[in-house]
Amino acid sequence: MKRTAIRDQLSAISGQRSARNFWRLTVLLFTHYSLLITAVILLPFTAHSADDRNALLAGMDQAEILRLGERIYREGILPDGKPLPGYVSGDVPVDGTAFTCVSCHLRSGLGSFEGNVVTPPTNGRILYQPREPFIKGSEFIPYIHNYAVYLPVRPAYTYETLAALISTGFDPTGRSVVSVMPRYEMSARDMAILIAYLDTLSDKPSPGVDKSEIKFATVIVEGTDPSAVRSMLTPIEFGIDRKNSLAVAASKNPRVALMSYNMSGNLTDIKFSLSRWVLKGPSTTWKQQLENYYKTEPVFALLGGITNGDWEPVHRFCEEKGIPDLFPIVDYPVISQKDWYTLYPSRGVRQEGEAAARYLHSMYDLFKGRSIVQIIRADRRAEALARGFRETWAETGHPPAEDIILAKGEKLTAEKLQQIVAKEKPAALLVWDDASLLPAVSSLVGKPDKPGLVIASGTYLGKSLWAVPEEVREFLYMTYPYRLPQDDARYDKAAKRVLAGKPINLFDPVIIRQSYLTNEILGKALLEMRGEYYRDFLLDTIGMMADQYFPLYERVSFGPGQRYASKGCFMVQLGKGKSPKLVRRSEWVTQ
Amino acid sequence: MIVANQTLGDQLSVVSSQLFPPQRTRPLQARIIHYALLVTAALFLSLTSAASADNRTYQRSVEKYAMPDVTLINQNGNRVRFKNFLPTDKPVVVDFIFGTCTTICPVLSAGYASLQQRLGADTEKVHLISITIDPENDTPAVLKDYLKRYRSKPGWDFLTGSRKDIDRVMKAFNANIPDKMSHYALTFIRMPKEDNWVRINGMMSTSEFLAESQKAGIK
Ligand code: HEC
Repeated sequence: MKRTAIRDQLSAISGQRSARNFWRLTVLLFTHYSLLITAVILLPFTAHSADDRNALLAGMDQAEILRLGERIYREGILPDGKPLPGYVSGDVPVDGTAFTCVSCHLRSGLGSFEGNVVTPPTNGRILYQPREPFIKGSEFIPYIHNYAVYLPVRPAYTYETLAALISTGFDPTGRSVVSVMPRYEMSARDMAILIAYLDTLSDKPSPGVDKSEIKFATVIVEGTDPSAVRSMLTPIEFGIDRKNSLAVAASKNPRVALMSYNMSGNLTDIKFSLSRWVLKGPSTTWKQQLENYYKTEPVFALLGGITNGDWEPVHRFCEEKGIPDLFPIVDYPVISQKDWYTLYPSRGVRQEGEAAARYLHSMYDLFKGRSIVQIIRADRRAEALARGFRETWAETGHPPAEDIILAKGEKLTAEKLQQIVAKEKPAALLVWDDASLLPAVSSLVGKPDKPGLVIASGTYLGKSLWAVPEEVREFLYMTYPYRLPQDDARYDKAAKRVLAGKPINLFDPVIIRQSYLTNEILGKALLEMRGEYYRDFLLDTIGMMADQYFPLYERVSFGPGQRYASKGCFMVQLGKGKSPKLVRRSEWVTQ
Repeated sequence: MIVANQTLGDQLSVVSSQLFPPQRTRPLQARIIHYALLVTAALFLSLTSAASADNRTYQRSVEKYAMPDVTLINQNGNRVRFKNFLPTDKPVVVDFIFGTCTTICPVLSAGYASLQQRLGADTEKVHLISITIDPENDTPAVLKDYLKRYRSKPGWDFLTGSRKDIDRVMKAFNANIPDKMSHYALTFIRMPKEDNWVRINGMMSTSEFLAESQKAGIK
C-alpha cells in the first residue's frame, strides 16, 4: 500500500522520462517551488477562512445546508445544479455526476476498501482527530479492517486544512494524498456547505445502540403460517442467545471473550435484544402500527421478518426512518435500484422468470423467429413470474412473448393447452402454474406442434417437481433458484447447527436456510464495523463483503448498493428413473 | 442512480502532456495542484535512491494472449462473440470493472471518458471495451446505466456474460481477480493487425494514458 502511495505521487512526472525532459522538469520545479509555498500558505486564507464560513452560510437554515451538502456528497451536484468538477489521477477530469464522494467514502462516510485502495473516513468526528496507526479505544480491530494502518499519521484537520485537502489534495502534513482522491474545484460557499454536511456524517449514535445494548426487532405479519414464522425466528434467536450467553461467560472469564465467535472487542460487553413486532389487519394500517412500535422502542435494525403477501409498507417505513432490515422472508420484495435500507435474500419469485428469459435469450438464434408463449395463471405468484420474464426479455431487445392469462380460478387443461399450441406453434412455451400443468403438458407428447421446450417454475411446482411424468422430463425445464439438493447436502450440518437441537423436520427447509443468512451476515458485519455501530455503515460494510457460500443458494454476493443477495437460478430437468435427481441445464447466473 | 446530461467539455483541461498541446489554460488551483505534485515527486526522487525517473503509478509490459471463444452480452443486450468483437482493423483497449464498484472503476472509467474526449468527433476509431467482473449483478441494464453516467460515446462497449465465460476471458488476459472486492486496475491495449497486447497494471493519468496509447500507435 505504501509503495502504491509513493508511486502515485510520482505520477505527475511520467511522460517526462528522457534526459531532456528531466532538465525541463528541474527548471520547472525551481520556477514553481516558490509558487507552491505561497499557495499552500495562502490558499486556506484566501478561499476558506473559518470566519468567512458563518458569513457564507448566513441566512440559510441548517436543514437546507444539510440537504445541499448531501446532494454534493451523494450526487455530485452543486447547489446551483451544476456537476461538481474535479480531477483524478492528476489530470483526468471527472464531474460529480459520474461519481462523487459517496462512491469511495460510502454513504456513512466511514470509508471503504477495494483491492489495494484504502479510502479513509471523511466525517468530521474522525477528521478533526489526529490519525494514529491504531484507532484509539478500538485496538481490537483486526488489521485488515483498520484503514489507519495503511495510511500515514496526520494531525487533526481544522476547517481550513480540510477545505485545502479537498481542493488541493494536500493533507495537514503537506503530503499530497494519493491521486485516486480527486481534487475538487468549488466556491468557498459550496465548500462550507459540503463541510457542514461532513460534520454530521456518522456523528450522533444511531438509535437503538448504547454502550450496553443493541436493540433489534423482527416484523411478523399476522396470518403467516406459524411453522414458517418459527423457521424464520429460530436461526436469528439462536444467534442472539448465543451472543448474549457468550457475553455473560466472557464477562466472567476474559479468555472466553478472546475465543468466542462474534465477540471481538467492545462487542463483548454489548447485549443484543430482539423484539417481535406483529402487524395486524389490512396493510394500509401497518405504517401506523410500525410507527407505534418504533416510538416505544427505537431499534437499530430489523432482522428477518416474514409475510405471506405484502411487504411494501414495511419496506417504505424502513426507507423513511432509515432502518436497515436484513433479509426479510418475502416472495415479492420491492424491486428498486436506489432504495437503500432493505436487503433481500433474492429478488423473490420473479427471479425465476428473469432466469427463464436469460436462458431463452442464450438460444434465441435456434428459434428462427418462431414465437414464445407464456401461459399465466391468474394469481400473484404466476404474475410475478411472468413479469420477471417479460421485463428481462424486453431488455434483450426481442419482440415480446405472447401472454395468455387464464381466467380467475381457471386451471390449465390438456384441451386448452393443445389449442394454444396448435394455434401459436411456439418454439418455447412458459407455463406459470402449479402441479396442475403436468397432465396438460403430458398431453403434448407425440403432437406435431409440441414446442422444443416447456419451462415451468420449480418453486411453484413445489414437491410435484419430483413427480414430473417420465415422458415429459425430456422437454420440461424448470427454474430452480437454489443450489441443487445433491450439492446442498454438505451444508446441512451448518443449517442444523442453528436449530438448537430441534429436529429439522419441524421447520420449513427453505426459510431456516434463508434466516441462516441473516444470522451469519449480521455477525460478520458487526465484527468488521470496528466499533462504529451506525446504520448506514452496517449496510456499507455488508456492501464490501466478498461472495459468501452458505446453505441454500449457490452463492450470495454483495456490492455497494446491491440489495438482492442471491442473483442466480438454475434451469434444471428431472433425471430419468424411479428416484431421479435434478440435472443442471444452465449456470447459476446467465446474463 | 445519477443520470448526467451536461457535457464534460467545460472541465476539460490538459496538463503535462507533451503529446497533445493544452486546449485551454487550467485554473490557478489546478495548476497549483500540478506543481505541487511535481515538487513532491521531485522530493521523493532526491530522497529515494531506488527511485528513478521511470517510476510510475503503473507497470507496463508487452504480452501475447490467446482469446477464448466465448459469447458475451453488451449493454444493449446483444450477444457478441468475443473473439470477433475485438477489432483487428483498429486499436482496442480492454479493462475490467463493474457497475457498483467503489474506487477503482471510477478512476479507470474517467480515463476512458477522457480518452474519448481527446479522440474528437470520431470516437469509434478506437474501440474501448470494459468487461464486468461482477456478472451476477451486472445485467445489460446496469451496464447501460453505468455508461450513461460516464457519458460514453459510440466506441465504448461494456460486456457481461456468464461467470464461467467472464472467468475464461480474465484467465486469457492473465487477470487474476478472484473476487470483485480484490479488484485492481488493469488495462490492455492492442493495435490493428498486431498480436501483442500492451498490459498496464495500475492507474494512469490522461496524459499517461494518451502517451501509452500513442506509443501503442493510437493517434
Ligand atoms: C475515487 C475515489 C474518491 C472519491 C470520489 C473521493 N475520495 Fe476522498 N479520498 C479517497 C482516497 C483513496 C483517500 C486517501 C488518500 C490518501 O490519504 O492518500 C481520500 C482522502 C480524503 C480525505 C482525507 C482524509 C484524511 O484522513 O486525511 C478527505 C477529507 C476526503 N477524501 C474527502 C472527500 C470528499 C469530500 C469527496 C467528494 C467531494 C471525496 N473525498 C471524493 C478517495 C476518494
